[in-house]
Amino acid sequence: MTPLVESRGLLASYGPTPALRGLDASFPRGEIVAVLGENGSGKSTLLKVIARIVPAAGGELFLEGRPLAQLPRRETARRIAYVPQSLDLVFPIRCLDLVLQGRAPHDSAFSADSPEDLERARAAMRSCDVEALAERDASALSGGEQRRVFLARALAQEAEIWLLDEPASGLDPRHRLEFLEILGRTHRERRTTVLLVTHEMDLAGEIADRILLLSGGRTLAEGAPAEVLTQQNLRRAFSVESRVEVDAAGRRRIVPFAPTR
Amino acid sequence: MIQARRKSVVAAALLLLAVFIVLGITVGGVPLSFRDLWSGRGMEGDTARLLASLRFPRVALAAIVGACLALAGAALQALLKNPLADPFLLGTSGGAATGAALAALAGLSPLLSPPAAFAGAVVSSFGVAALARRRGRLDLQRLLLAGLIANAFFSALLLLVFSVASGEAARTMLFWMMGSLSDATAGKAAALLPYAVAAGAVLLLSASRLNLFAVGEENAAALGVDIEKSKRIVFLAASLLTGAAVAFAGVIGFVGLLVPHAARAVAGNDQRVLLPVSALCGAALLVAADAFARTAFAPAELPIGAVTASIGAPLFAWMLLRNP
Repeated sequence: MTPLVESRGLLASYGPTPALRGLDASFPRGEIVAVLGENGSGKSTLLKVIARIVPAAGGELFLEGRPLAQLPRRETARRIAYVPQSLDLVFPIRCLDLVLQGRAPHDSAFSADSPEDLERARAAMRSCDVEALAERDASALSGGEQRRVFLARALAQEAEIWLLDEPASGLDPRHRLEFLEILGRTHRERRTTVLLVTHEMDLAGEIADRILLLSGGRTLAEGAPAEVLTQQNLRRAFSVESRVEVDAAGRRRIVPFAPTR
Repeated sequence: MIQARRKSVVAAALLLLAVFIVLGITVGGVPLSFRDLWSGRGMEGDTARLLASLRFPRVALAAIVGACLALAGAALQALLKNPLADPFLLGTSGGAATGAALAALAGLSPLLSPPAAFAGAVVSSFGVAALARRRGRLDLQRLLLAGLIANAFFSALLLLVFSVASGEAARTMLFWMMGSLSDATAGKAAALLPYAVAAGAVLLLSASRLNLFAVGEENAAALGVDIEKSKRIVFLAASLLTGAAVAFAGVIGFVGLLVPHAARAVAGNDQRVLLPVSALCGAALLVAADAFARTAFAPAELPIGAVTASIGAPLFAWMLLRNP
Protein backbone atom coordinates (compact mmCIF):
# COMPACT_ATOMS: atom_id res chain seq x y z
CA MET A 1 0.00 0.00 0.00
CA THR A 2 1.22 3.50 -0.82
CA PRO A 3 2.19 5.38 2.35
CA LEU A 4 0.18 8.55 2.97
CA VAL A 5 3.34 10.66 3.01
CA GLU A 6 6.68 9.53 1.69
CA SER A 7 10.00 11.29 1.19
CA ARG A 8 12.95 10.12 -0.87
CA GLY A 9 16.31 11.86 -0.72
CA LEU A 10 14.60 15.00 0.61
CA LEU A 11 16.80 18.10 0.75
CA ALA A 12 16.13 21.42 2.45
CA SER A 13 18.35 24.21 3.64
CA TYR A 14 18.28 27.61 5.28
CA GLY A 15 20.64 29.57 3.02
CA PRO A 16 23.99 27.79 3.01
CA THR A 17 23.08 25.68 6.05
CA PRO A 18 21.63 22.32 5.03
CA ALA A 19 18.87 21.02 7.32
CA LEU A 20 17.76 17.91 5.45
CA ARG A 21 20.46 16.00 3.56
CA GLY A 22 18.63 13.32 1.66
CA LEU A 23 15.98 12.12 4.04
CA ASP A 24 14.06 8.92 3.31
CA ALA A 25 10.96 8.21 5.35
CA SER A 26 7.43 6.96 4.97
CA PHE A 27 4.38 7.65 7.05
CA PRO A 28 1.56 5.10 6.83
CA ARG A 29 -2.01 6.29 7.04
CA GLY A 30 -3.60 6.45 10.49
CA GLU A 31 -0.42 6.05 12.53
CA ILE A 32 1.23 8.24 15.10
CA VAL A 33 4.87 8.69 14.19
CA ALA A 34 7.24 10.32 16.65
CA VAL A 35 10.18 12.12 15.06
CA LEU A 36 13.24 12.09 17.32
CA GLY A 37 16.75 13.41 16.96
CA GLU A 38 19.18 15.85 18.51
CA ASN A 39 18.85 19.61 18.05
CA GLY A 40 19.53 20.53 14.43
CA SER A 41 18.89 17.02 13.13
CA GLY A 42 16.14 18.31 10.85
CA LYS A 43 13.01 17.31 12.80
CA SER A 44 11.20 20.66 12.66
CA THR A 45 12.39 21.29 9.11
CA LEU A 46 10.82 18.01 8.00
CA LEU A 47 7.46 19.14 9.41
CA LYS A 48 7.81 22.56 7.78
CA VAL A 49 8.59 21.06 4.39
CA ILE A 50 5.55 18.80 4.60
CA ALA A 51 3.45 21.81 5.73
CA ARG A 52 4.87 23.75 2.74
CA ILE A 53 6.26 26.47 5.00
CA VAL A 54 9.82 25.74 3.85
CA PRO A 55 10.35 24.69 0.21
CA ALA A 56 12.23 21.48 -0.49
CA ALA A 57 15.56 22.08 -2.23
CA GLY A 58 15.65 18.66 -3.84
CA GLY A 59 14.58 15.05 -3.56
CA GLU A 60 11.01 13.88 -3.65
CA LEU A 61 8.04 14.25 -1.34
CA PHE A 62 4.78 12.47 -2.07
CA LEU A 63 1.26 12.73 -0.72
CA GLU A 64 -0.53 9.52 -1.64
CA GLY A 65 2.02 8.95 -4.37
CA ARG A 66 1.60 12.39 -5.91
CA PRO A 67 4.37 15.02 -5.74
CA LEU A 68 3.30 17.32 -2.89
CA ALA A 69 4.81 20.50 -4.31
CA GLN A 70 2.75 20.17 -7.47
CA LEU A 71 -0.58 20.01 -5.66
CA PRO A 72 -2.52 23.26 -5.17
CA ARG A 73 -1.53 24.87 -1.88
CA ARG A 74 -5.08 25.17 -0.66
CA GLU A 75 -5.70 21.49 -1.33
CA THR A 76 -2.75 20.39 0.78
CA ALA A 77 -3.72 22.92 3.47
CA ARG A 78 -7.13 21.26 3.71
CA ARG A 79 -5.45 17.93 4.36
CA ILE A 80 -2.44 18.94 6.45
CA ALA A 81 -2.62 20.87 9.73
CA TYR A 82 0.49 22.34 11.30
CA VAL A 83 0.61 23.00 15.04
CA PRO A 84 3.54 25.28 15.86
CA GLN A 85 5.61 25.08 19.00
CA SER A 86 4.47 28.48 20.18
CA LEU A 87 2.88 31.65 18.92
CA ASP A 88 4.62 34.99 18.73
CA LEU A 89 1.61 37.25 18.44
CA VAL A 90 2.01 40.98 17.85
CA PHE A 91 -1.61 41.88 17.25
CA PRO A 92 -4.50 40.78 19.45
CA ILE A 93 -6.66 37.95 18.10
CA ARG A 94 -9.64 36.19 19.65
CA CYS A 95 -9.22 32.46 20.14
CA LEU A 96 -12.39 31.88 18.12
CA ASP A 97 -10.90 33.81 15.20
CA LEU A 98 -7.69 31.81 15.47
CA VAL A 99 -9.68 28.57 15.31
CA LEU A 100 -11.75 29.97 12.43
CA GLN A 101 -8.51 30.43 10.48
CA GLY A 102 -8.51 26.65 10.19
CA ARG A 103 -11.43 27.10 7.79
CA ALA A 104 -9.40 29.39 5.49
CA PRO A 105 -8.28 26.62 3.10
CA HIS A 106 -11.91 25.53 2.71
CA ASP A 107 -13.44 28.96 2.10
CA SER A 108 -13.16 31.32 -0.82
CA ALA A 109 -10.71 34.07 -0.01
CA PHE A 110 -13.36 36.76 -0.08
CA SER A 111 -16.16 35.30 2.02
CA ALA A 112 -17.10 36.18 5.56
CA ASP A 113 -17.21 33.41 8.15
CA SER A 114 -20.25 31.31 7.36
CA PRO A 115 -22.58 29.99 10.11
CA GLU A 116 -21.31 26.48 9.25
CA ASP A 117 -17.72 27.59 9.80
CA LEU A 118 -18.67 29.12 13.14
CA GLU A 119 -20.47 25.93 14.16
CA ARG A 120 -17.46 23.78 13.18
CA ALA A 121 -15.08 26.08 15.06
CA ARG A 122 -17.23 26.03 18.18
CA ALA A 123 -17.63 22.25 18.06
CA ALA A 124 -13.86 21.87 17.71
CA MET A 125 -13.31 24.18 20.68
CA ARG A 126 -15.79 22.13 22.71
CA SER A 127 -13.99 18.88 22.06
CA CYS A 128 -10.65 20.44 22.99
CA ASP A 129 -12.13 21.95 26.13
CA VAL A 130 -11.36 25.54 25.15
CA GLU A 131 -14.90 26.75 24.44
CA ALA A 132 -14.75 29.10 27.42
CA LEU A 133 -11.72 30.83 25.89
CA ALA A 134 -13.51 31.77 22.64
CA GLU A 135 -13.60 35.51 23.28
CA ARG A 136 -10.20 35.72 25.00
CA ASP A 137 -7.13 37.19 23.33
CA ALA A 138 -4.94 34.29 22.23
CA SER A 139 -1.73 36.10 23.17
CA ALA A 140 -2.82 36.18 26.83
CA LEU A 141 -3.20 32.40 27.12
CA SER A 142 -0.94 30.00 28.95
CA GLY A 143 1.15 27.56 26.93
CA GLY A 144 -1.22 24.68 27.65
CA GLU A 145 -4.29 26.66 26.63
CA GLN A 146 -2.59 27.86 23.46
CA ARG A 147 -1.65 24.31 22.48
CA ARG A 148 -5.26 23.15 22.98
CA VAL A 149 -6.59 26.08 20.93
CA PHE A 150 -4.29 24.97 18.11
CA LEU A 151 -5.56 21.40 18.38
CA ALA A 152 -9.07 22.84 18.06
CA ARG A 153 -7.94 24.67 14.96
CA ALA A 154 -6.51 21.50 13.42
CA LEU A 155 -9.87 19.85 14.16
CA ALA A 156 -11.80 22.71 12.54
CA GLN A 157 -9.44 22.44 9.59
CA GLU A 158 -10.66 18.83 9.18
CA ALA A 159 -7.15 17.84 8.22
CA GLU A 160 -6.22 14.17 8.05
CA ILE A 161 -2.52 14.78 8.70
CA TRP A 162 -1.44 16.58 11.83
CA LEU A 163 2.07 17.93 12.20
CA LEU A 164 2.90 18.75 15.82
CA ASP A 165 6.14 20.49 16.74
CA GLU A 166 7.10 19.62 20.32
CA PRO A 167 3.48 19.77 21.47
CA ALA A 168 4.04 18.63 25.03
CA SER A 169 7.15 20.62 25.90
CA GLY A 170 6.77 23.26 28.57
CA LEU A 171 3.46 21.91 29.85
CA ASP A 172 2.90 21.06 33.49
CA PRO A 173 1.95 17.41 34.21
CA ARG A 174 -1.78 18.05 34.31
CA HIS A 175 -1.91 20.05 31.08
CA ARG A 176 0.40 17.56 29.46
CA LEU A 177 -1.93 14.69 30.31
CA GLU A 178 -4.98 16.65 29.15
CA PHE A 179 -3.27 17.50 25.91
CA LEU A 180 -2.27 13.90 25.23
CA GLU A 181 -5.78 12.72 26.09
CA ILE A 182 -7.31 15.08 23.51
CA LEU A 183 -4.68 14.17 20.93
CA GLY A 184 -5.26 10.45 21.46
CA ARG A 185 -9.04 10.84 21.32
CA THR A 186 -9.05 12.86 18.09
CA HIS A 187 -6.58 10.41 16.60
CA ARG A 188 -8.90 7.49 17.35
CA GLU A 189 -12.09 9.27 16.29
CA ARG A 190 -10.80 10.81 13.09
CA ARG A 191 -8.14 8.29 12.16
CA THR A 192 -5.68 11.14 11.74
CA THR A 193 -2.10 10.51 10.77
CA VAL A 194 0.12 12.30 13.29
CA LEU A 195 3.74 13.37 12.96
CA LEU A 196 5.01 14.44 16.30
CA VAL A 197 8.38 16.08 16.84
CA THR A 198 9.56 15.60 20.39
CA HIS A 199 12.57 15.31 22.65
CA GLU A 200 10.74 13.08 25.09
CA MET A 201 11.69 9.51 24.36
CA ASP A 202 9.24 8.13 26.92
CA LEU A 203 6.38 10.03 25.36
CA ALA A 204 7.41 8.76 21.94
CA GLY A 205 7.62 5.19 23.13
CA GLU A 206 4.28 5.52 24.87
CA ILE A 207 1.99 7.01 22.24
CA ALA A 208 3.73 6.46 18.91
CA ASP A 209 3.12 3.52 16.61
CA ARG A 210 6.40 4.19 14.90
CA ILE A 211 9.56 6.17 15.54
CA LEU A 212 11.61 8.06 13.01
CA LEU A 213 15.07 8.73 14.37
CA LEU A 214 16.98 11.48 12.56
CA SER A 215 20.64 12.43 12.62
CA GLY A 216 22.26 15.18 10.58
CA GLY A 217 19.25 15.59 8.30
CA ARG A 218 19.07 11.88 7.42
CA THR A 219 17.14 8.90 8.72
CA LEU A 220 19.12 6.89 11.23
CA ALA A 221 16.42 4.37 12.07
CA GLU A 222 12.74 3.91 11.41
CA GLY A 223 10.30 1.40 12.85
CA ALA A 224 8.45 0.24 15.97
CA PRO A 225 9.53 1.95 19.22
CA ALA A 226 11.14 -1.16 20.67
CA GLU A 227 13.19 -1.67 17.52
CA VAL A 228 14.36 1.91 17.20
CA LEU A 229 14.89 2.99 20.80
CA THR A 230 17.93 0.84 21.46
CA GLN A 231 21.05 1.78 23.38
CA GLN A 232 23.11 1.62 20.20
CA ASN A 233 20.76 3.89 18.20
CA LEU A 234 20.56 6.40 21.02
CA ARG A 235 24.33 6.49 21.26
CA ARG A 236 24.56 7.21 17.53
CA ALA A 237 21.75 9.75 17.47
CA PHE A 238 22.33 11.67 20.69
CA SER A 239 25.85 10.69 21.78
CA VAL A 240 24.52 9.49 25.14
CA GLU A 241 24.80 6.30 27.07
CA SER A 242 21.41 5.06 28.25
CA ARG A 243 19.70 2.11 29.76
CA VAL A 244 16.28 0.69 28.99
CA GLU A 245 14.05 -0.09 31.97
CA VAL A 246 10.84 -2.05 31.80
CA ASP A 247 8.33 -1.18 34.51
CA ALA A 248 5.75 -3.46 36.15
CA ALA A 249 3.14 -2.54 33.52
CA GLY A 250 5.53 -3.62 30.76
CA ARG A 251 6.27 -0.03 29.61
CA ARG A 252 9.78 0.63 28.39
CA ARG A 253 11.53 3.62 29.83
CA ILE A 254 14.68 5.09 28.34
CA VAL A 255 17.06 6.58 30.86
CA PRO A 256 20.03 8.44 29.37
CA PHE A 257 22.65 8.71 32.08
CA ALA A 258 25.91 9.98 30.59
CA PRO A 259 27.29 11.66 27.49
CA THR A 260 29.30 9.29 25.31
CA ARG A 261 33.02 9.84 25.82
CA MET B 1 -23.71 39.57 16.43
CA ILE B 2 -20.13 39.89 15.21
CA GLN B 3 -21.36 40.80 11.74
CA ALA B 4 -23.64 43.48 13.22
CA ARG B 5 -20.76 44.95 15.18
CA ARG B 6 -18.62 45.03 12.06
CA LYS B 7 -21.29 46.82 10.11
CA SER B 8 -21.81 49.39 12.84
CA VAL B 9 -18.07 50.15 13.00
CA VAL B 10 -17.93 50.70 9.24
CA ALA B 11 -21.09 52.83 9.41
CA ALA B 12 -19.57 54.94 12.19
CA ALA B 13 -16.43 55.51 10.11
CA LEU B 14 -18.56 56.54 7.13
CA LEU B 15 -20.49 58.99 9.30
CA LEU B 16 -17.25 60.44 10.65
CA LEU B 17 -15.99 60.97 7.10
CA ALA B 18 -19.28 62.60 6.04
CA VAL B 19 -19.17 65.01 8.99
CA PHE B 20 -15.57 65.98 8.25
CA ILE B 21 -16.31 66.47 4.56
CA VAL B 22 -19.12 68.90 5.42
CA LEU B 23 -16.79 70.57 7.89
CA GLY B 24 -14.01 70.73 5.31
CA ILE B 25 -16.24 72.49 2.82
CA THR B 26 -17.77 74.94 5.26
CA VAL B 27 -14.73 76.08 7.23
CA GLY B 28 -11.92 78.15 5.77
CA GLY B 29 -10.58 81.69 5.61
CA VAL B 30 -14.14 82.65 4.65
CA PRO B 31 -16.78 80.53 6.37
CA LEU B 32 -19.55 79.12 4.23
CA SER B 33 -23.05 78.17 5.31
CA PHE B 34 -24.88 75.25 3.79
CA ARG B 35 -28.10 77.26 3.72
CA ASP B 36 -26.50 79.81 1.36
CA LEU B 37 -25.18 76.97 -0.73
CA TRP B 38 -28.55 75.29 -1.24
CA SER B 39 -31.06 78.14 -1.16
CA GLY B 40 -28.98 81.32 -1.24
CA ARG B 41 -29.99 83.80 -3.93
CA GLY B 42 -28.05 86.56 -5.63
CA MET B 43 -24.64 87.52 -4.33
CA GLU B 44 -24.69 85.28 -1.25
CA GLY B 45 -25.66 82.19 -3.16
CA ASP B 46 -23.12 82.82 -5.92
CA THR B 47 -20.30 83.34 -3.43
CA ALA B 48 -21.25 80.20 -1.56
CA ARG B 49 -21.33 78.13 -4.73
CA LEU B 50 -18.04 79.59 -5.91
CA LEU B 51 -16.38 78.82 -2.59
CA ALA B 52 -17.79 75.29 -2.63
CA SER B 53 -16.56 74.70 -6.16
CA LEU B 54 -13.10 75.80 -5.06
CA ARG B 55 -13.09 73.81 -1.84
CA PHE B 56 -14.73 70.62 -2.96
CA PRO B 57 -11.84 69.40 -5.17
CA ARG B 58 -9.46 70.08 -2.32
CA VAL B 59 -11.58 68.16 0.18
CA ALA B 60 -11.95 65.32 -2.34
CA LEU B 61 -8.21 65.17 -2.94
CA ALA B 62 -7.53 65.21 0.81
CA ALA B 63 -9.99 62.37 1.33
CA ILE B 64 -8.54 60.18 -1.43
CA VAL B 65 -4.92 60.82 -0.38
CA GLY B 66 -5.78 60.08 3.26
CA ALA B 67 -7.56 56.87 2.32
CA CYS B 68 -4.61 55.74 0.14
CA LEU B 69 -2.02 56.32 2.87
CA ALA B 70 -4.04 54.76 5.70
CA LEU B 71 -5.02 51.72 3.63
CA ALA B 72 -1.43 51.16 2.51
CA GLY B 73 -0.24 51.42 6.12
CA ALA B 74 -2.88 49.04 7.48
CA ALA B 75 -2.15 46.41 4.82
CA LEU B 76 1.62 46.64 5.33
CA GLN B 77 1.23 46.33 9.11
CA ALA B 78 -0.71 43.08 8.73
CA LEU B 79 1.56 41.72 5.98
CA LEU B 80 4.74 42.39 7.92
CA LYS B 81 3.16 41.56 11.29
CA ASN B 82 4.64 44.81 12.47
CA PRO B 83 2.70 47.76 13.91
CA LEU B 84 5.48 50.12 12.80
CA ALA B 85 5.19 49.29 9.10
CA ASP B 86 4.12 52.29 7.08
CA PRO B 87 4.77 53.52 3.52
CA PHE B 88 6.62 56.48 5.00
CA LEU B 89 8.91 54.27 7.12
CA LEU B 90 9.50 51.77 4.30
CA GLY B 91 10.95 54.53 2.15
CA THR B 92 8.26 54.45 -0.54
CA SER B 93 7.09 58.01 0.13
CA GLY B 94 10.68 59.25 0.11
CA GLY B 95 11.38 57.56 -3.22
CA ALA B 96 8.29 59.10 -4.75
CA ALA B 97 9.15 62.57 -3.49
CA THR B 98 12.75 62.29 -4.69
CA GLY B 99 11.60 61.24 -8.13
CA ALA B 100 9.32 64.26 -8.33
CA ALA B 101 11.94 66.66 -6.97
CA LEU B 102 14.57 65.45 -9.42
CA ALA B 103 12.12 66.01 -12.25
CA ALA B 104 11.51 69.56 -11.04
CA LEU B 105 15.26 70.24 -10.80
CA ALA B 106 15.80 68.88 -14.31
CA GLY B 107 13.42 71.60 -15.45
CA LEU B 108 10.73 69.19 -16.55
CA SER B 109 7.19 70.49 -16.78
CA PRO B 110 5.19 70.22 -13.52
CA LEU B 111 2.88 67.97 -15.52
CA LEU B 112 5.64 65.35 -15.42
CA SER B 113 5.91 65.42 -11.63
CA PRO B 114 3.30 62.71 -11.00
CA PRO B 115 4.90 60.15 -13.35
CA ALA B 116 8.28 60.99 -11.84
CA ALA B 117 6.83 60.38 -8.35
CA PHE B 118 5.45 57.02 -9.50
CA ALA B 119 8.81 56.09 -10.93
CA GLY B 120 10.53 57.05 -7.67
CA ALA B 121 8.06 54.99 -5.62
CA VAL B 122 8.58 51.97 -7.83
CA VAL B 123 12.38 52.33 -7.82
CA SER B 124 12.32 52.63 -4.03
CA SER B 125 9.96 49.65 -3.66
CA PHE B 126 12.07 47.42 -5.84
CA GLY B 127 15.30 48.63 -4.28
CA VAL B 128 13.99 47.98 -0.79
CA ALA B 129 12.62 44.58 -1.85
CA ALA B 130 15.96 43.67 -3.43
CA LEU B 131 17.80 44.64 -0.25
CA ALA B 132 15.30 42.65 1.80
CA ARG B 133 15.62 39.55 -0.37
CA ARG B 134 17.56 36.86 1.33
CA ARG B 135 18.02 33.30 0.15
CA GLY B 136 15.51 33.96 -2.60
CA ARG B 137 12.76 35.06 -0.24
CA LEU B 138 11.46 38.41 0.94
CA ASP B 139 12.63 38.59 4.54
CA LEU B 140 10.29 40.71 6.62
CA GLN B 141 12.83 41.84 9.23
CA ARG B 142 15.24 42.92 6.53
CA LEU B 143 12.44 44.75 4.75
CA LEU B 144 12.01 47.19 7.63
CA LEU B 145 15.76 47.74 7.88
CA ALA B 146 15.99 48.26 4.13
CA GLY B 147 13.16 50.79 4.39
CA LEU B 148 15.10 52.63 7.06
CA ILE B 149 18.17 52.77 4.80
CA ALA B 150 16.10 53.90 1.81
CA ASN B 151 14.52 56.64 3.90
CA ALA B 152 17.86 57.98 5.09
CA PHE B 153 19.18 57.89 1.54
CA PHE B 154 16.19 59.63 -0.03
CA SER B 155 16.07 62.28 2.71
CA ALA B 156 19.71 63.05 2.05
CA LEU B 157 19.13 63.13 -1.70
CA LEU B 158 16.17 65.48 -1.27
CA LEU B 159 18.23 67.82 0.90
CA LEU B 160 21.09 67.82 -1.60
CA VAL B 161 18.72 68.58 -4.44
CA PHE B 162 17.03 71.22 -2.32
CA SER B 163 20.30 72.98 -1.47
CA VAL B 164 21.38 73.43 -5.10
CA ALA B 165 17.94 74.38 -6.39
CA SER B 166 16.74 77.97 -6.35
CA GLY B 167 13.64 80.06 -6.78
CA GLU B 168 10.60 78.32 -8.19
CA ALA B 169 12.20 74.87 -8.12
CA ALA B 170 13.00 75.25 -4.42
CA ARG B 171 9.41 76.18 -3.70
CA THR B 172 8.09 73.02 -5.36
CA MET B 173 10.67 71.05 -3.44
CA LEU B 174 9.11 72.28 -0.21
CA PHE B 175 5.81 71.00 -1.52
CA TRP B 176 7.24 67.51 -2.11
CA MET B 177 8.94 67.37 1.27
CA MET B 178 6.18 68.72 3.49
CA GLY B 179 3.10 67.87 1.45
CA SER B 180 0.40 70.26 0.38
CA LEU B 181 -3.12 70.18 -0.97
CA SER B 182 -3.19 73.84 -1.99
CA ASP B 183 -2.84 73.10 -5.70
CA ALA B 184 -5.80 70.71 -5.65
CA THR B 185 -8.07 70.70 -8.69
CA ALA B 186 -10.98 68.51 -9.67
CA GLY B 187 -8.77 67.15 -12.46
CA LYS B 188 -6.10 66.03 -9.97
CA ALA B 189 -8.64 64.35 -7.72
CA ALA B 190 -10.14 62.60 -10.73
CA ALA B 191 -6.69 61.53 -11.94
CA LEU B 192 -5.80 60.03 -8.56
CA LEU B 193 -9.09 58.18 -8.12
CA PRO B 194 -8.50 55.27 -10.57
CA TYR B 195 -5.15 54.41 -8.97
CA ALA B 196 -6.69 54.57 -5.52
CA VAL B 197 -9.65 52.40 -6.49
CA ALA B 198 -7.60 49.79 -8.37
CA ALA B 199 -4.81 49.34 -5.81
CA GLY B 200 -7.28 49.75 -2.93
CA ALA B 201 -9.48 46.98 -4.31
CA VAL B 202 -6.47 44.65 -4.54
CA LEU B 203 -5.74 45.22 -0.85
CA LEU B 204 -9.36 44.94 0.29
CA LEU B 205 -9.67 41.64 -1.58
CA SER B 206 -6.51 40.42 0.16
CA ALA B 207 -7.99 41.04 3.61
CA SER B 208 -8.62 37.37 4.49
CA ARG B 209 -5.09 36.43 3.51
CA LEU B 210 -3.71 39.38 5.48
CA ASN B 211 -5.50 38.01 8.56
CA LEU B 212 -3.36 34.88 8.25
CA PHE B 213 -0.20 37.01 7.79
CA ALA B 214 -1.06 39.04 10.89
CA VAL B 215 -0.58 35.87 12.97
CA GLY B 216 2.65 35.06 11.14
CA GLU B 217 4.10 34.25 7.77
CA GLU B 218 4.49 30.54 8.58
CA ASN B 219 0.88 30.53 9.68
CA ALA B 220 -0.22 31.88 6.31
CA ALA B 221 1.95 29.37 4.44
CA ALA B 222 0.63 26.43 6.45
CA LEU B 223 -2.95 27.50 5.70
CA GLY B 224 -2.46 27.39 1.94
CA VAL B 225 -1.28 30.91 1.04
CA ASP B 226 1.42 31.34 -1.60
CA ILE B 227 3.27 33.74 0.66
CA GLU B 228 5.88 35.03 -1.79
CA LYS B 229 3.24 35.88 -4.35
CA SER B 230 0.97 37.50 -1.75
CA LYS B 231 3.83 39.58 -0.39
CA ARG B 232 4.68 40.86 -3.86
CA ILE B 233 1.06 41.73 -4.63
CA VAL B 234 0.41 43.54 -1.35
CA PHE B 235 3.75 45.32 -1.40
CA LEU B 236 3.22 46.56 -4.95
CA ALA B 237 -0.38 47.64 -4.36
CA ALA B 238 0.67 49.54 -1.22
CA SER B 239 3.52 51.16 -3.17
CA LEU B 240 1.16 52.20 -5.92
CA LEU B 241 -1.23 53.78 -3.41
CA THR B 242 1.67 55.62 -1.78
CA GLY B 243 3.20 56.77 -5.05
CA ALA B 244 -0.17 58.03 -6.24
CA ALA B 245 -0.80 59.92 -3.00
CA VAL B 246 2.68 61.50 -3.00
CA ALA B 247 2.39 62.42 -6.68
CA PHE B 248 -0.65 64.57 -5.98
CA ALA B 249 0.01 65.79 -2.44
CA GLY B 250 3.71 65.38 -1.58
CA VAL B 251 5.00 63.47 1.44
CA ILE B 252 2.44 63.39 4.24
CA GLY B 253 3.72 61.25 7.10
CA PHE B 254 2.03 59.56 10.05
CA VAL B 255 -1.35 58.92 8.36
CA GLY B 256 -0.37 55.38 7.40
CA LEU B 257 1.08 54.69 10.82
CA LEU B 258 -1.44 56.33 13.09
CA VAL B 259 -4.83 55.69 11.51
CA PRO B 260 -4.59 51.87 11.46
CA HIS B 261 -3.55 51.95 15.13
CA ALA B 262 -6.51 54.05 16.16
CA ALA B 263 -8.86 52.04 13.96
CA ARG B 264 -7.56 48.78 15.40
CA ALA B 265 -8.35 49.96 18.92
CA VAL B 266 -11.99 50.41 17.92
CA ALA B 267 -12.58 47.89 15.14
CA GLY B 268 -10.29 45.05 16.23
CA ASN B 269 -7.67 43.42 14.04
CA ASP B 270 -9.87 41.60 11.51
CA GLN B 271 -8.47 43.01 8.26
CA ARG B 272 -11.84 42.59 6.54
CA VAL B 273 -13.09 45.36 8.84
CA LEU B 274 -9.85 47.12 9.67
CA LEU B 275 -8.85 47.86 6.06
CA PRO B 276 -12.07 49.64 5.01
CA VAL B 277 -12.35 51.40 8.38
CA SER B 278 -8.72 52.57 8.10
CA ALA B 279 -9.36 53.93 4.60
CA LEU B 280 -12.42 55.85 5.76
CA CYS B 281 -10.74 57.19 8.88
CA GLY B 282 -7.60 58.12 6.91
CA ALA B 283 -9.80 60.12 4.56
CA ALA B 284 -11.56 61.80 7.49
CA LEU B 285 -8.28 62.60 9.25
CA LEU B 286 -6.68 64.23 6.24
CA VAL B 287 -9.81 66.27 5.43
CA ALA B 288 -9.82 67.52 9.03
CA ALA B 289 -6.07 68.17 9.07
CA ASP B 290 -6.33 70.12 5.83
CA ALA B 291 -9.24 72.20 7.15
CA PHE B 292 -7.09 73.02 10.16
CA ALA B 293 -4.06 73.80 7.97
CA ARG B 294 -5.95 76.37 5.95
CA THR B 295 -7.97 78.02 8.77
CA ALA B 296 -5.73 78.08 11.85
CA PHE B 297 -3.54 80.94 10.63
CA ALA B 298 -5.59 82.09 7.62
CA PRO B 299 -4.78 83.51 5.17
CA ALA B 300 -1.41 81.81 5.76
CA GLU B 301 -1.47 78.06 5.19
CA LEU B 302 0.38 75.42 7.18
CA PRO B 303 2.14 72.54 5.44
CA ILE B 304 -0.21 69.57 5.79
CA GLY B 305 2.66 67.15 6.47
CA ALA B 306 3.73 69.27 9.43
CA VAL B 307 0.14 69.27 10.74
CA THR B 308 -0.24 65.47 10.54
CA ALA B 309 3.17 64.96 12.12
CA SER B 310 2.44 67.32 14.99
CA ILE B 311 -0.89 65.62 15.70
CA GLY B 312 0.47 62.17 14.94
CA ALA B 313 3.71 62.08 16.88
CA PRO B 314 2.28 63.00 20.32
CA LEU B 315 -0.75 60.76 19.81
CA PHE B 316 1.53 57.93 18.84
CA ALA B 317 3.68 58.53 21.90
CA TRP B 318 0.56 58.50 24.06
CA MET B 319 -0.56 55.21 22.53
CA LEU B 320 2.88 53.72 23.14
CA LEU B 321 2.73 54.75 26.77
CA ARG B 322 -0.76 53.28 27.16
CA ASN B 323 0.15 49.95 25.55
CA PRO B 324 3.76 49.24 26.47
